Amino acid sequence: MAEASNSSFAIEVENLTVSYGPVPALLDISVQIPAGQLIGVIGPNGSGKSTLIKSILGFVKPDYGTVKLFGEDLEHAKGHVAYVPQRGTVDWDFPITVREVAVMGRYGHQPWWRDLSREDYRIADQALEMVRMSEFAKRQIGQLSGGQQQRVFMARALAQGSEVLLLDEPFAGVDAATEQSILDVLEDTKRQGRTLVVVHHDLTTAAQYFDQLILLKQRMFAFGTPQQVLHPELLSQVYEGKLQVFVDLPQVVENSRNGV
Amino acid sequence: MFESIQEFHAVNGVFIKSIIAGTFVAAACGMMGCFIILRKLSFLSDALAHAMLTGVIAGYLLIKILFGTEPEVPAMVIGALLSGIFTVMMISFVTRVSRIKQDTAIGIMYTGIFAVGGFVLSMKSFGRFIHKDLYHLIIGDVLAVSNSELWMLAIILIIVFAFVTLLFRHLQLTSFDPIMAAAIGVPVLAVEYGLTICTSLVVVGGVTIVGVILVVALMITPAAAAYLLFDRLKPMLFASAAIGIVSFWLGYVVAFYAGVAPGSAVVVTLTCIFLIVLTVAPRYGLIADWLRKKQMVPQPIVEDILGSILKTKDHRDWEANVLKHVGGSRGRITNAIRALVRQDMLELQDGQLALTEKGRKEAIRLRRAHRLWETYLEQTGTPAEKLHETAHVLEHVNDRVALDYLDDKLGHPIQDPHGSEIPEDERVLKPGQQVLLSKLRAGHRGKVVEIGKNLQVIQLTRGTMVQVGPRQDNGQIWTVTTADQQELRLTHDQADEVKVEIVE
Repeated sequence: MAEASNSSFAIEVENLTVSYGPVPALLDISVQIPAGQLIGVIGPNGSGKSTLIKSILGFVKPDYGTVKLFGEDLEHAKGHVAYVPQRGTVDWDFPITVREVAVMGRYGHQPWWRDLSREDYRIADQALEMVRMSEFAKRQIGQLSGGQQQRVFMARALAQGSEVLLLDEPFAGVDAATEQSILDVLEDTKRQGRTLVVVHHDLTTAAQYFDQLILLKQRMFAFGTPQQVLHPELLSQVYEGKLQVFVDLPQVVENSRNGV
Repeated sequence: MFESIQEFHAVNGVFIKSIIAGTFVAAACGMMGCFIILRKLSFLSDALAHAMLTGVIAGYLLIKILFGTEPEVPAMVIGALLSGIFTVMMISFVTRVSRIKQDTAIGIMYTGIFAVGGFVLSMKSFGRFIHKDLYHLIIGDVLAVSNSELWMLAIILIIVFAFVTLLFRHLQLTSFDPIMAAAIGVPVLAVEYGLTICTSLVVVGGVTIVGVILVVALMITPAAAAYLLFDRLKPMLFASAAIGIVSFWLGYVVAFYAGVAPGSAVVVTLTCIFLIVLTVAPRYGLIADWLRKKQMVPQPIVEDILGSILKTKDHRDWEANVLKHVGGSRGRITNAIRALVRQDMLELQDGQLALTEKGRKEAIRLRRAHRLWETYLEQTGTPAEKLHETAHVLEHVNDRVALDYLDDKLGHPIQDPHGSEIPEDERVLKPGQQVLLSKLRAGHRGKVVEIGKNLQVIQLTRGTMVQVGPRQDNGQIWTVTTADQQELRLTHDQADEVKVEIVE
């Protein structure tokens, strides 16, 4: 994306306000996300995390405010963002195989009148290789385990070749081993210089996984390193009353820094 | 209209026109139906079929009153299309501006628009304009297909085929993941409108064959059958069209010999074909499902069998022992044993059943679960005579995280309440593994690799070799001997601070 590198920030969100009904889902969000980082978006249920992702994708039209990718307006940057949906929102009975999902990442690269090229399939296969899903290429997606399903959509995002990847709760409902394997893929991707924004719900692992965190609840509460964001006072403000969980947090943050 | 299909053929001699018309319609309906069911819009297609009637009536009356001529089919088709699009717009309007959900909005709008048609149709002042041709659109009559209708159907089929093949990727992506579709710049709304227009077109086509009431079957049923048969969209599209066409032919033949209405015969045939597919589909059919369930052996039975064979001293008695300890019918147990042999957990040697190494490990793991649960139950005050029974149920809760938690909370017990040894966690306690000292038992030897900050009082350093001694004070105190013969006593918390790489 040489033509789009005239800004040092991968994603710039300015005064973003989105509402579905009378209550705004997002209110005056401004954040500048630097390129090449693994960013976590945390906040309680219904705090607008998914809406933020959908706004950056251009799927939700903001009431007010702008989103820029590498300094360009979203309209001109279509296709520069890849998206990994929340597992619960996918129709797993859809008649589609693993390889067909992966090659969807190439759809934006060919105009509608032209067939996908052999190169497109090669790139999709390569992406499946990266997430170690090649042997399942011919399976229907419903016949995979939770972690495998997540990796298929990672492959699709990789095949898209986008500089920015948005993931909605990739760790929801997978076991610990799977969580680790997904995290490995995310870190590999980051090492290639891409920017990843990940909606995450587990505060105890947030410090360990991400370079920076965005704390959200309709409004933007904090953006910074885990130590800055996972601040008991800040969290109690956002998560109201459900404080019990956070008693151990400073220790957790400490441990993750020491690599325990 | 003719009294019966035989009479029709007696008069017309040929019925090739009807067959061609039906084939066109079935193919177009079959393809569009796939997208309809994948987008969960079956109800919408039903709604469209009804709402479109009003458009047909409106188009008919307009031409008749304005020009006084008997209207040609295209006027009615355009009327149908317009009312279809109007219905969809009203539905999306209501869902957008209010909290009314889509299914409710569909229900309100199509009945309303359909009723307007019925209202007009029954008005005395209009009644005299209504000709039998209009009824044939409502009830549907493949036998009365005219040349202009045949042309219309051909054009509909071409439009639908072009739409589906040219925009295949767009249709697939917007049906499967509209968010990504929007993100890569696919005009999701335009594709949706295209889909609605094509659906309206094929509904109009289907109406000529089976009428307003049954047209939905022509779209939904073949697609549903194809959905049960295929795991990919392209073959599903072809199969759906093929099933529609074959059903039409079969239904038509049935109608011919039984002398019944072709529309009904076609739909009955379709439904029968669907039911057959539902039964015999290789992966998603009832029989396949039943076979799968029959082969699947419930985990508790598997675990109980492994446990009882581990207990068996004399392996000639295994059969009696398994039957004694495991609930369930003999057939079920035989099935489970077969499955275990397949999974390489059990082996049959000279008629005697024995655990393989893999099976023994699994059985030990289950024994550990059982005895940990017994220890837990005893601590919570469960009466002694109930211990075994309740633990027997709970032992099936045995995933690693749950057991590790239980083990830790119980202070890593060595004996269960009956005085039997609780097997150690074999998967963790083997040479080369790094584990917390608290998990080790007497006899283990290892090298200290990590010491927590809170343990500086005790003289242990990284790299020291330690030998674990027997637990003391009712299992509350861990003892270790260091390489220089120092004996140390540690509490559970202290033992948790030391990580050891096991040597033996």
